[in-house]
Amino acid sequence: MTSRLGNSLLWLYFVLMVAFLFMPLAVLVLFAFNSGTTPTLPIEGFTTKWFADAFSNTDLTSALVRSAGIGVIASILATAMGIMAAIGLNAKRVPGESVAIGALLLPLVVPYISLAVGMLILLQALKFKNALWEIALGHSVIALPFALLVILPRLRSLDGSLNEAARDLGASDFAAFRLITFPLLLPALLSSFIICFSTSFDEFAIASFLYPSGQPTYPVFLYGGARSPAILPQLIAVGTLVIAVSLLIVGFSELGRRWAERRIEGRSAAPADVSATDNVATT
Amino acid sequence: MSNGEVQLVSLVKKFDNFTAVDGIDLLIPAGEFFSLLGPSGCGKTTTLRMIAGFEQPTAGEVRLDGTDMAGTPASKRNVHTVFQSYALFPHMKVDENVAFGLKRAKVSKEQITKRVGEALELVQMQSMAHRKPAQLSGGQQQRVALARALVMKPSVLLLDEPLGALDAKLRRQLQVELKALQEQVGITFVYVTHDQEEALTMSDRIAVMNRGKVEQVSPPREMYDEPASAYVADFLGVSNTMDATASAPDGDGVTVELANGLKLRAAGGQTSARGPVKVVIRPERIGIEAPTATGPNYVSALVQRSVYHGSGTQVTLLLHNGQTLTALVQNSQAGDDPTWAAGNAVAVHLPDWALRVLPATS
Repeated sequence: MTSRLGNSLLWLYFVLMVAFLFMPLAVLVLFAFNSGTTPTLPIEGFTTKWFADAFSNTDLTSALVRSAGIGVIASILATAMGIMAAIGLNAKRVPGESVAIGALLLPLVVPYISLAVGMLILLQALKFKNALWEIALGHSVIALPFALLVILPRLRSLDGSLNEAARDLGASDFAAFRLITFPLLLPALLSSFIICFSTSFDEFAIASFLYPSGQPTYPVFLYGGARSPAILPQLIAVGTLVIAVSLLIVGFSELGRRWAERRIEGRSAAPADVSATDNVATT
Repeated sequence: MSNGEVQLVSLVKKFDNFTAVDGIDLLIPAGEFFSLLGPSGCGKTTTLRMIAGFEQPTAGEVRLDGTDMAGTPASKRNVHTVFQSYALFPHMKVDENVAFGLKRAKVSKEQITKRVGEALELVQMQSMAHRKPAQLSGGQQQRVALARALVMKPSVLLLDEPLGALDAKLRRQLQVELKALQEQVGITFVYVTHDQEEALTMSDRIAVMNRGKVEQVSPPREMYDEPASAYVADFLGVSNTMDATASAPDGDGVTVELANGLKLRAAGGQTSARGPVKVVIRPERIGIEAPTATGPNYVSALVQRSVYHGSGTQVTLLLHNGQTLTALVQNSQAGDDPTWAAGNAVAVHLPDWALRVLPATS
């Protein structure tokens, strides 16, 4: 009896937990298709008008494009820096390794708003006007810890003698990285890129301080628009789209990661008797 | 074309405060199967890594065919390594793994195809050419690792405990194959192992290492029969080591006095030594006979324990002077030999030729 009760309670907890996590998103999706002009109950009717409106609103679409561009640049930068930092930290006998790791992970705990204010002051002191590339740089800083946390464990799981074997067979240090380490890191790099992109895409504080006037990023535009009732339904519609696209990206990247893993492991390749009939060929 | 002579000159490697290799001088002639044997931490792998170029010596030189390799990176040395973990590239098929070094060396495609085929044939892995390493057994991976190094036609092949991860039966089979392969290709093998049987089976010569130093360099039989120190005697199989005092010379032997006044004649090792020495005897050279047997170097004893393990039985003996010895007797006949049963009184024969006198230090 008690265990059945315990089980039911566990299920109840699970349902409540899922509701807690997803209700806000569900509300967003619900009102995206609501024909009423304000996001209030009761639901008035079904429409896709807001999506059409949103995509004819060039202020909104260009904000989306800006954020996507910044996200791509920031995640490439952060992933590249993450690879280099991970290789450095993975080397034998690094003096002050824990200090270095601490410094690299610091952006995780520094409030973005502090970083934003600091960047603004620094860039103004250097006589730079606000620009989108500055936001991309700022985002690469806050994304770097995520990149490192994804890449370093993967690198550490690789057999160190793989790199030595490549050099032993005549590869330069760079060739050993390009031909051995990089392909083996690829699944982690893919994950790193996705995480860094989503970190950048919805970052508000830094973007709000550094965006050039008239060129807000998507979160900044959203924040401004949320207070103007006229475009609120459009923002809700786009928010719904962003959720859908995020889910697709996560789904595809997981498939991609599995594909890359399989390619490395070769578990799905042909059994012995098949390959025995092939010629020895190398290219 | 280089021919593969390795010379180590006063080689030293220090890591921070730890001296891994403490002044090694070795000359390994071309075409020799040479083993570095010792317990973990004795510096054998570090020595190998310096020959390969993965570690730089703190002092001393690694010379390949007379040339100091100090400024030559691993990628430019005509020396290749078979790693303990095999280090096969997991994302490449077997043939791609073997072709890796040739591609780096810009060998033509036709040549690559030909040489990869030959190398895989040499290790009997042609049928596995299109598999990924994860689809191979440990022994197969080991063969591919060998092919990948041999295809480069190195003048020296370095092997770091390449059989360590395999089961005992496969290991013994591959020991024989590896030795045959080395004779076939005729290149210098420098083989690192902690397994004395492996070293004895395959090597032309063995260097036994201890704490960064070379204790002894000898061919296998000499290493086993004529160890220069108690450490070497002990490392090459179980050996009985006894403290003794060497006194009167006795022809080509010497009289040694063991604990509690037991006197024996020893004719092996440093029979000219006087004073405190170690006396060692191999377990298989101890004779166990009926308690009535007498003669020179016969000692009465009690059998403490008998452990049967297949081809032989290990017998622990307590000599009348309180010394414990381990003997190994062959199970040459079916059934138990009642002489070896625990608790029996026996006469133990320690032949003078089998008793070796070694320096007391170390």
